[in-house]
Amino acid sequence: MSSKNEWLTSLKQPLNLKKKKGLIDFVIQLIFLILTIISASFIVIIIVFIGKEGIKPFITDNGGIGNVDLIRFLTGNEWLKGTAFKSNLYSVGFAIINTLYISLLALLIAMPIGVLTALFIAKIASKKLSAIMRTIIELLAAVPSIVYGLFGSGLILVFVYNLAKIFGVQSQGGNSVLATILVLAMMILPTITALSEVAIRSVGKEIENGSLALGATKTQTNFKIVLTSAKSGIFSAAILGIGRALGEATAVSLVAGNAQSGPSLDFFKTTSTLTSIMLQGLKETVGLDYDIRFSVGLVLMAVILFSNLILNYAKKMVGNVDVK
Amino acid sequence: MSMSNKRKRKDFVLQAITYAASLIGVFILSLIIIFIFKNGVGLINWDLVTNDYHAQYYNGGINEIEIFSKTVKPSELSESDFYSNKWGLALTDDINREGRAIVVVSYLANDSPLHDMYDKNDLENNTFALEIGNIVSSIKFENKESALSVYGAEKMINALENETEFREIVFSSLGGGIRGSLITTLYTIFFTLIFALPTGVCSALYLTEFAKNNQFTRIIRGMIDMLTGVPSIIFGLMGLAVFVPLTIRYTPASGANILSGSLTLAVILLPIIIRSTEESLKIVPDEYRFASLALGANKTQTTFRVVLPSALPGILTATLLAIGRVIGESAALIFAIGTAVKDEISIFGKSTTLAVHIWSLMTDEPANIELASTISIIILIIVLVLNLLVKLLSKAYLRNA
Repeated sequence: MSSKNEWLTSLKQPLNLKKKKGLIDFVIQLIFLILTIISASFIVIIIVFIGKEGIKPFITDNGGIGNVDLIRFLTGNEWLKGTAFKSNLYSVGFAIINTLYISLLALLIAMPIGVLTALFIAKIASKKLSAIMRTIIELLAAVPSIVYGLFGSGLILVFVYNLAKIFGVQSQGGNSVLATILVLAMMILPTITALSEVAIRSVGKEIENGSLALGATKTQTNFKIVLTSAKSGIFSAAILGIGRALGEATAVSLVAGNAQSGPSLDFFKTTSTLTSIMLQGLKETVGLDYDIRFSVGLVLMAVILFSNLILNYAKKMVGNVDVK
Repeated sequence: MSMSNKRKRKDFVLQAITYAASLIGVFILSLIIIFIFKNGVGLINWDLVTNDYHAQYYNGGINEIEIFSKTVKPSELSESDFYSNKWGLALTDDINREGRAIVVVSYLANDSPLHDMYDKNDLENNTFALEIGNIVSSIKFENKESALSVYGAEKMINALENETEFREIVFSSLGGGIRGSLITTLYTIFFTLIFALPTGVCSALYLTEFAKNNQFTRIIRGMIDMLTGVPSIIFGLMGLAVFVPLTIRYTPASGANILSGSLTLAVILLPIIIRSTEESLKIVPDEYRFASLALGANKTQTTFRVVLPSALPGILTATLLAIGRVIGESAALIFAIGTAVKDEISIFGKSTTLAVHIWSLMTDEPANIELASTISIIILIIVLVLNLLVKLLSKAYLRNA
């Protein structure tokens, strides 16, 4: 309707036509721009607000308890010495090590399986089989993490508990480093597979044909030429996979066992990661015990950022090596 | 010749390894589905969806009785239904959604004197009635010890049959239902989409239709992309630090609530919606835009009438993905919406979505794996169907484009 009116008025005032068009465009563009800036600003809001809350424990006296010592916080090996709300002796040093240790091992398990599955989907399977396999990987990626957590605590814990028994170790109901690694490996497997597949697919046909022309078999070419040519993309898959592993929360906290100190390197020992610590004891809503969660969040963000930087640097190094 | 045989064998082994690796993925998915169905399918029924989570307890008293029931045990009742002729009541042993033994009313005769019971806690309560499916926890008598459900339905019914009066029957509704969490999930989907869709679609329109290719646009794009790498628990912290205080200040809310949860989820979804919409906007041929502009339409009209309709499949895809994400999200919502399972749902109050309901069940002592699995079945089916829909949709769209 309004367009018809617009059209009529524009007929009446043909000279104004251009100006009016410009005005509407300008207003709409402005509204869109504002919404875009809002969308983009959330990354800043996240950093500023979590930063603000997360720094509080270190620079205020936390209602008389005294400020938390930053060095002790980053290096200590016990979450809280003393009683909650009465002590400022918080540390996450052990949880940083746990988080990195568990994520790396999960990646170590998921990487070969994921890359080989990707190779299967992209190069080896028939068209039909590869479509089915791709759907299965997509469904695995769509399973929510809470369902992985439920599956982990219902089945993986039992498995790990029995495995520990075979080794003569009494694990705490299966809650352990190993269970956490297994659940995380399952969760990052679809991410790694999907991204590796894209990387493998984008390898140039000429490289492949060159290898085949030189007398290499199809399988030889897939393993020696295609995989090495796709390594930069596969590395990106690993980076995304480890990012997901570092930040995963609910599933991990259901199988980790919430150890209060560490680090836990023994496979059958309970553990806790930065995320599982954040999900502990959610009842507090004020005071240091509440604010400290944001500090852990800040540490988690820093850990993710640093590992990303290091891995991206490593990726560049790998990318520069010539294919031999 | 032997060399090539060796090569063949090696190739076969290498190929077999990729088959084996792929089977692991198949194995994991099947294991998850089998595990969840095996544990959860027993509790699936319509009552689960309509029942409250928290059981309502009642104390039923009764006045002196003149006429007792004359109904004999109906033939449809089985051996395991223990029946009292005098009271026209059948009780049976069962197991509730937490896995504990309970005694359930399996039959109540029309002429049962128990229809005349009154609510001892609320004498004005006119809707008060013992119903089939109610859980009887104890029957208390004046001059003898109470009949408790822990000793089973048979002992309970015998104790009742021997008496002509009782002090009270303590009974409850079944409980353990997910009605509240289901409603919260629907509210959360609705509000999240209301916040995220317009913002996301308009941002995508700006970036593809209006933005100049300059430093500013690149920075904006980079900032939106950065959001995808943030773990959801960090979004939860942001919800706690930003949206919870915001909703407390401007709404009747007093803590984490559905609105703060939806706002948090909206932020998580923004990059997904923007990306998906942009992808579909890029497919719209430039000729459409030029034709529209050449016909005298201004940029705004072109955007809304020509470009946007062509991008609708992409927006629909984004919406479906968004719904799936909302249903599955747990870490962010544990902070931004709370973990208290509720039956009375208000958008300004605490409650849990289905995913957080699972979290609450799993962190209870002891964990309720059965009910958690049942909810997982519901979530999994919805999420998997949504994903397959997206796949079909994009396939159909690509064929048309």
